[in-house]
Amino acid sequence: MNIGRMLSIAKKNLRSLKHDRRTVAFIIIVPLLIMTIFGYTFGGEIENVSVNIVNLDQGINGTYLSEQIVEEMSKRNTLSIRETQDGADDRAVEESTHLVEKGEIWAVIVFDENFSRDLQLGLTADQTGVGGSQGRIYLYLDRSNPNIGAAVLTEAQRALQTVFLIDFGIEQPVVIAQSAIYGENAEFIDFFAPGVMGLAAMMVTFMLSIISFVQERRNATLDRLVSSPATEGEIVGGYALAFGIVGLLQSCVILVTAVLLFQIQIVGNPLLVLLIIFLLGIGTQGLGFMLSSVAKTEFQAIQFMPLILFPSILLAGVFWPIEAIPEVLRGVSYFIPLTYAVEGCRSVMIRGWEAGDVMPEILILIAFAAAMLMLSTMALKRRG
Amino acid sequence: MVENSSEKNDERMAHAIETTDLRKEFDGLVAVNDLSLTIGRGVLYGLIGPNGSGKTTVIRMLVGILNQTSGSATVLGERIPISENKPRIGYMPQEMGIYTDLTVHDNLELFSDLYSIGREKFRSRQQALLKMIDLEGRKDSLVSQLSGGMKHRVSLACALVHDPELIFLDEPTVGVDPELRTGFWEYFEELKRQGKTIVMTTHYMDEAQRCDIVGMMRNGRLIGEGSPSELMRRADADSLESAFLAYSREGGA
Repeated sequence: MNIGRMLSIAKKNLRSLKHDRRTVAFIIIVPLLIMTIFGYTFGGEIENVSVNIVNLDQGINGTYLSEQIVEEMSKRNTLSIRETQDGADDRAVEESTHLVEKGEIWAVIVFDENFSRDLQLGLTADQTGVGGSQGRIYLYLDRSNPNIGAAVLTEAQRALQTVFLIDFGIEQPVVIAQSAIYGENAEFIDFFAPGVMGLAAMMVTFMLSIISFVQERRNATLDRLVSSPATEGEIVGGYALAFGIVGLLQSCVILVTAVLLFQIQIVGNPLLVLLIIFLLGIGTQGLGFMLSSVAKTEFQAIQFMPLILFPSILLAGVFWPIEAIPEVLRGVSYFIPLTYAVEGCRSVMIRGWEAGDVMPEILILIAFAAAMLMLSTMALKRRG
Repeated sequence: MVENSSEKNDERMAHAIETTDLRKEFDGLVAVNDLSLTIGRGVLYGLIGPNGSGKTTVIRMLVGILNQTSGSATVLGERIPISENKPRIGYMPQEMGIYTDLTVHDNLELFSDLYSIGREKFRSRQQALLKMIDLEGRKDSLVSQLSGGMKHRVSLACALVHDPELIFLDEPTVGVDPELRTGFWEYFEELKRQGKTIVMTTHYMDEAQRCDIVGMMRNGRLIGEGSPSELMRRADADSLESAFLAYSREGGA
């Protein structure tokens, strides 16, 4: 292995990129864009869910507990209360439900006419031990988006609990005390930022590699390389080095974007994250090389993209935990290198794990990279 | 091996190339059919023949891009596939084989690095080659911005940057305008004067005329070989073209 020759091939690949400003822009801007879009789409909490409130509550002794709850709900911006109808009748419920059916609002929150009375009786019953009743809130929900449905329900419960605590000093009898071993204050964006990083690095190294090699073959530059003293290993190594570096730079862009725009957590050592990405990049570029021998044109090469990308996006735990994947498909997850890169990065970034803790992931990625480099070298050695 | 003094090896060393029953099949299709030929050192050898006659395949086996199906060959005394002798050969593929997204300088530098010729030598070689291909002013131009003829010249320079003693040129003048072709030929003759061995493929008969030895190929076989005048005399033809047709009839029979 002549390191000088390997470096000169790596240099050549990086130089090609230098002249291709558009590709460089893509390498930087695409992950930046992906991270920003994903971050703003998934990173925030659900807000401004439009709802109507129909308050049938007759009150008790001139007190309307329902109104306090509505007031509490309006303090937060989870719900956007379009209309509150106090002292309404059943027709109002019907009209508002119709708005849900038409898709104009997501939910109708209805307070039962005996809400305050039942609540008061129920509370007294608790104290006296004489039978009481429960106050009722009805939710008419458009659950076509389960997340929004859940958000409305959670908000209603929260408002209820707050009012109970403040007005009556009542706490829930059982409290689940949680203490985060990892991921204190972690949000969804902290969970998927490592995934997006791995995904973007994989995408770019695969694409650069498969297209470069299709061009190398078509323009006979590969013939020239092969006829030179450069060995197959040096050629493959030079490519891996160049595109591994590109993947690395890209991860840095994503990391910086995620930290600056979304304040994601990096508890562990960022260098360890970059090492993981680098290994993933080297392996993926090898994969790109191998598939490039099947593709005759750049057009055909591009068609491998969805084949590689979709299983990775869906099954490698980028957005959904692997535990949420049906068992049959979960088996596939364990054969996708991105799974280990994402898991490794996540453990370092959120759990703050050290090299020793993520060694299994690192070793698997080293094995993947080594296998791909070896197979590529062997494939290149096969001379028609 | 170089020091081996047996008679056969001496003879082999005298040849730049020697093939024995060299054969290449692609999926059962015979591209090169048991070819045996010898090319002496310092010779300008032209392989001529129609498209698909196996010229390119022969060269690709000799430079180490393809493995033969059977038979053997030596290049500068080393059996194919060669490795040790790679620094001693230069190869210009038909498709040019240069990086269009790099500058002329970057291309030359890459190949000089692969042949480990060193900074100093590269600088002087680059200067000489750029002068030869008349692109001194375009050193820092991207190859994609050059005209077709200029690209051809860059491709030739890349094959010569490490000053090889045996040069394979696969259709070096296809698509090259007449003026540039004349220039190329002047340079080929200059290389020959320097004692280099050149093996080129062509299907221009006027170019074949200028070769020392011509090998005529058809359907993967050598159907005639010799100096142009000898070939014409033997076939009793007044041109290489009609000689080729005569040998084709003979060989096909």
